[in-house]
Amino acid sequence: MASRLRSTWGGVLRTPLGASAATLLAAVLLLAVLAPLLWFERADTVDTANILQGPSSTHWAGTDSLGRDIFYRVLVATRLSIQLALLSTAIGVLVGLLLGAAPQLLGARAGRFVTAVVDIAVAFPGLLLALTFAVIFGVGTRGAVLAIGLATAPSFARLTSTLVASVAGRDFVAAARIIGVGRVRVLLRHILPNVGEPLVVNATIAAGSALLAFAGLSFLGLGVQAPAYDWGRLLGDGLNSIYVHPLAALVPGVVVLVAGLAFNLFGEAIAKGIARTPDIAMAPDGPRDRRGRRPMRAADATGAQADLTEDPDRPVLAVEGLRVGFPGPAGVAVEPVRGVSFTIRRGEAVGVVGESGSGKSLTALAVAALIESPGWVQAERLEFLGEDLRDTLSRTQRQLLGTTFAMVFQDPTTSFNPTQRIGRQLAEVAQEHQGNTHAQAMARAMDRLRAVRIPAAQRRAHQFPHEFSGGMRQRAMIGMGLMGAPRLIVADEPTTALDVTVQRQVLGLLDRIRAADDVALLLISHDITVVGEVCERVLVMYAGRIVEDLPAAELRTRARHPYTRALLAAVPDMKTDRDRPLAVIPGRPVDPANVPAGCAFAARCPLADDHCRQADPPLVDDGSGRRVACWHADAMLPAIPVAGDGRGAGGRGE
Amino acid sequence: MSELGFEDVTVRFGGRRRGLTAVDRVSLTVPSGHVVGLVGESGSGKSTLARAAVGLTPVAGGRVLLDGQPLRHSLRAGSRRRIQMVFQDPYSSLDPRMTVGASIAEAIPRGSFSKLARETTHSRAGLTARRTEVSELLELVELPADRADVYPGQLSGGQRQRVAIARALAARPDVIIADEITSALDVSIQGTVLNLVRDLQRRLRLSMLFISHNLAVVRYVSDYIAVMYLGRIVEYGPADDVLLDPQHPYTRELLALTRTVEDAEPADPHHPPTGCRYHPRCSIGPVVLDGRDICRDAEPTAAGHRHGAACHFAENTTSIKEPTGDPTPAH
Amino acid sequence: MTSVPANVPLFSAMADNAWVRFAVRRLGRLLVSTWVVITAAFLMIHLIPGDPVRAALGATAPLELVNARREALGLNDPLWLQYVHYLRDLFTGQMGTSMISGLPVSQVIGDRLPATVELAVGAFVFAIGLSVPVGLTMAVLTRGGRRRRAELAFTSTSVVLAAIPQFLVAVGLVYLFSVQLGWVPVAGRGGLGSYVLPVLALGLGPAAVLARILRVETLGVLQADYIRTARAKRLRQRRIYLRHALPNALTATITLAGLLLSGLVAGTVLVENVFAWPGLGMTIVQSILAKDYPVVQGIVLVYGLGVLLVNLVVDIALALLDPRSTIRES
Repeated sequence: MASRLRSTWGGVLRTPLGASAATLLAAVLLLAVLAPLLWFERADTVDTANILQGPSSTHWAGTDSLGRDIFYRVLVATRLSIQLALLSTAIGVLVGLLLGAAPQLLGARAGRFVTAVVDIAVAFPGLLLALTFAVIFGVGTRGAVLAIGLATAPSFARLTSTLVASVAGRDFVAAARIIGVGRVRVLLRHILPNVGEPLVVNATIAAGSALLAFAGLSFLGLGVQAPAYDWGRLLGDGLNSIYVHPLAALVPGVVVLVAGLAFNLFGEAIAKGIARTPDIAMAPDGPRDRRGRRPMRAADATGAQADLTEDPDRPVLAVEGLRVGFPGPAGVAVEPVRGVSFTIRRGEAVGVVGESGSGKSLTALAVAALIESPGWVQAERLEFLGEDLRDTLSRTQRQLLGTTFAMVFQDPTTSFNPTQRIGRQLAEVAQEHQGNTHAQAMARAMDRLRAVRIPAAQRRAHQFPHEFSGGMRQRAMIGMGLMGAPRLIVADEPTTALDVTVQRQVLGLLDRIRAADDVALLLISHDITVVGEVCERVLVMYAGRIVEDLPAAELRTRARHPYTRALLAAVPDMKTDRDRPLAVIPGRPVDPANVPAGCAFAARCPLADDHCRQADPPLVDDGSGRRVACWHADAMLPAIPVAGDGRGAGGRGE
Repeated sequence: MSELGFEDVTVRFGGRRRGLTAVDRVSLTVPSGHVVGLVGESGSGKSTLARAAVGLTPVAGGRVLLDGQPLRHSLRAGSRRRIQMVFQDPYSSLDPRMTVGASIAEAIPRGSFSKLARETTHSRAGLTARRTEVSELLELVELPADRADVYPGQLSGGQRQRVAIARALAARPDVIIADEITSALDVSIQGTVLNLVRDLQRRLRLSMLFISHNLAVVRYVSDYIAVMYLGRIVEYGPADDVLLDPQHPYTRELLALTRTVEDAEPADPHHPPTGCRYHPRCSIGPVVLDGRDICRDAEPTAAGHRHGAACHFAENTTSIKEPTGDPTPAH
Repeated sequence: MTSVPANVPLFSAMADNAWVRFAVRRLGRLLVSTWVVITAAFLMIHLIPGDPVRAALGATAPLELVNARREALGLNDPLWLQYVHYLRDLFTGQMGTSMISGLPVSQVIGDRLPATVELAVGAFVFAIGLSVPVGLTMAVLTRGGRRRRAELAFTSTSVVLAAIPQFLVAVGLVYLFSVQLGWVPVAGRGGLGSYVLPVLALGLGPAAVLARILRVETLGVLQADYIRTARAKRLRQRRIYLRHALPNALTATITLAGLLLSGLVAGTVLVENVFAWPGLGMTIVQSILAKDYPVVQGIVLVYGLGVLLVNLVVDIALALLDPRSTIRES
């Protein structure tokens, strides 16, 4: 814990922003401590012979109405200004913390009451509250401190309660309560440490604001009273003579500004230090360049029309050597997809199976030309219906994809625009790409909703996404893809977020669409059972590469790659032997930032030898369209504790 | 080793009119030392039932019993909690600011260290005893003892789940509730956690309520299975019986033995259907067959049916099975 | 959302409608907040230690005068009675009499309010007009880590501008444009030229904050899944930004805009003092210093109610723009 804290603060000081803000703040604080000791006399020396003079060698900023040196007065005023600012911040933060943590401490009823009070108080601007309190507590230093302190409290309370609420909902707090940890201890031990950093950041910024607010109050005459003086007071005094003697106002003004900025910037620097953003690493050809190796052909430059006369032998999607990369931490690029090649023929259903880190989702996004900077996509070949998708899409290409390439994403909750009605979002496709009027497009949208079996389609089209259930949203998503005449549907984990029974409905729908219009399907999933049922061909991905490509019907019988077999063995089904342990794959999936040399699966493979660890096996076609990437693809696997009826790890099986 | 019982438990959220009854008069028993699998889809109320058992959600009706005694979830710090829970999300069930060892140690009830720990502490009680106990627990979940000084951020999902299990065990519970503990894990890692859970349950003879939406996983772990739909238990029985010979149409739908009725509107927990809650989707219900109006009008009871199936047309426990044709209507 | 069955009575059907519930809840909150403001304004005077009348008239004023004034102001009645009188007077539009000038407070406020409102509204329009295009454009230009230098320049400028308190901006602007360059009048409310500096001083800081927040929000929105869907639909970039990104970014910014407007209302206090602007801000400060509490009370009440009004408008705008917010609240 200590080392983590140190690394955050160390990181903060290393950035130019953090370093300069810290230096400035240190200087201000030093001044606050030292200035009165050093220059108290000079600041207070009255010299009636030299009233309201301009800057000179003896008085750098001139003199005020009593002949006192303004420059030194400003320096000496640092202590009082900083003290008052810190004091009022402390009051505000403390009261705010108590009020914000009240729901946790006092329970639901009292907590709701406190929250309501804070809600009302937060609505009022701080200055207004400060003025009100200033009236009550009286004009003067004490009143002003209390006023600003209590005026800061509501927003701090609101911040605290928001932060606390977000942490309090998390499972580890529930776990602590189940263990029997008391309310106060939960707050101190679990909640506060997890919200400490944003609170500190905001407290620092609040100190800066308090400083400025205090200056404002004193400026108005409601804060520090003569003969004491702080920056605000000096500013107020100086304002009266701004024509004759501008420095009298400007110098305190600039100093207030600089000190306030020092606090604010320091707080912001800490905030940045807590939430580090990765440095940009350059893609091999620059971050915005998605060009593959081939130069642009002349035909492309004229924007040739997509050849929609169906050539049944031409693949719908042809991918060769696909690579996808992102800039990673410390400027080193990460390549989650490291060379993927496959084709999809007309009407074919291909499934991609993999676990986390396999790169399957990114493959889908790359194939759909949806990867944006700072990510990059490179491929030797990436063609959809003959169109090269590697460069920025031309207008005709956009239109083609908009009407023939359908995407279904994983999370139906967030994939629709929450502020637009569903019908309108579907109609948009027809309006943009098919030149329909609004009425025509809406009619088509309703028809498509009916086609995906959404009941009461007419009424539903005018509803917002949050009024649909998860399964219906996913079906609406498919309907959106059907607004044109799709040749390919790419579905990225379309049913992961859905219930099993709804899952079957959605998959059944996809199946029906395929059969009706000969639409190809690329289905991405972590669930090998689902992929095995729905698809004709299965691609198994591991660590950014395809490791096996085989017909779905042969999954259980003729899988050759050790990972495929281990995956099949590890999934329990209704016939799994309950008296034996489940098969496991030792180790963990590969982290894309740390791909080992050689075969990525070697660390977890029972067949791995030195050759495997040094050389990455290529994806080899055995002549019948089946491909596998393994040096020992045809070896017998040693017996591993197996789940089920002898399939999988215990041998090639029959 | 204790028996967990739910007696007519009801849990409600929100006001009386617009609120949601997440759990509606559920009675269920987890026999001592056995595992009951609780299956259901989203909106079934299974997670709510679990939370009610550990006291995270107040119970609006009925009682939760442990060994026949009603549970009083006092908020007094230090009172021993005999029911512990392992959560679904490995990334939010451990405090990121506390070391693994501290998280586990926090769960150990005061003054009840293991015999081994007590024997090995001479003068420095407390701290050393804690450390020893934590090491033992880590060993129990097959993690190396040096992991105790590590932060959760440095562990994988599967390892975090094992720490969560160790923490639950540290509290010396009689009952453990596992709420979708493998749903967030990769398939290749799932097996490790499931094997561990099964192993520990048998060794320590814990009573367990195992919640999951994945029927294959539930079957592997459980002795009995309860199926929930929209806040009610619709079927309950020994695991193999329920899965091989399901009595309720919903269970059959889950097992992909029947299809959902086409175009059925999804169930809305705020406005559950009248009568049998499943009737709009039921493949043998009023939407599909004639003469089934009773499904719309009256709630079915479980009494007298095989597997306690809550269906008007489920078999009675005493009726002889027909070789073909519709099941005989119940009375 | 399933439709409500036909045999449910109309009233409960209405009550089930999210909009109706929202309106009722909001109205309730408005009433409670208004009551709180009124009561706080009332209590303000009574919480002041010492004798407010004596403090206003001075230590040397004769006792009979003080007592007569107390009687006239009703300060000798029990507290609850004073409260009732206060509420009654409020409903008839009377807010007491100034202890210094003897004029009715409502008249003082009526004279001064327009000037303050002009200033606040002008500054708000300026702030919105500047920040929305700038914020949006910067978000589009710097998305995905592009143009790091421009991002840095924008962020530092907006941070500095936002940090400078409005009265300092005012002083600086006065110095630069009035004293040195003489382009616009130094103080006072007169022709169009005299509005320039006060509006600028009041609106520059909020504009900077808004632009910055809008940029951050838009960047966040651009990462959202539904923007990815819009791109998958192959819509034109402009349409994606204006039709999909902006409305969602606005909803997050509207709350802040409301807060800023309330802050503007308070900021007028300081700026008016710099420019000798004849509005409520100058009046309240003078009254506090002179201990003219009835006037202070009246102005605090007006400010408070103004803030509540702004919040109400913001909430309605939010509800219209984001249909989920009404559901979320319940």
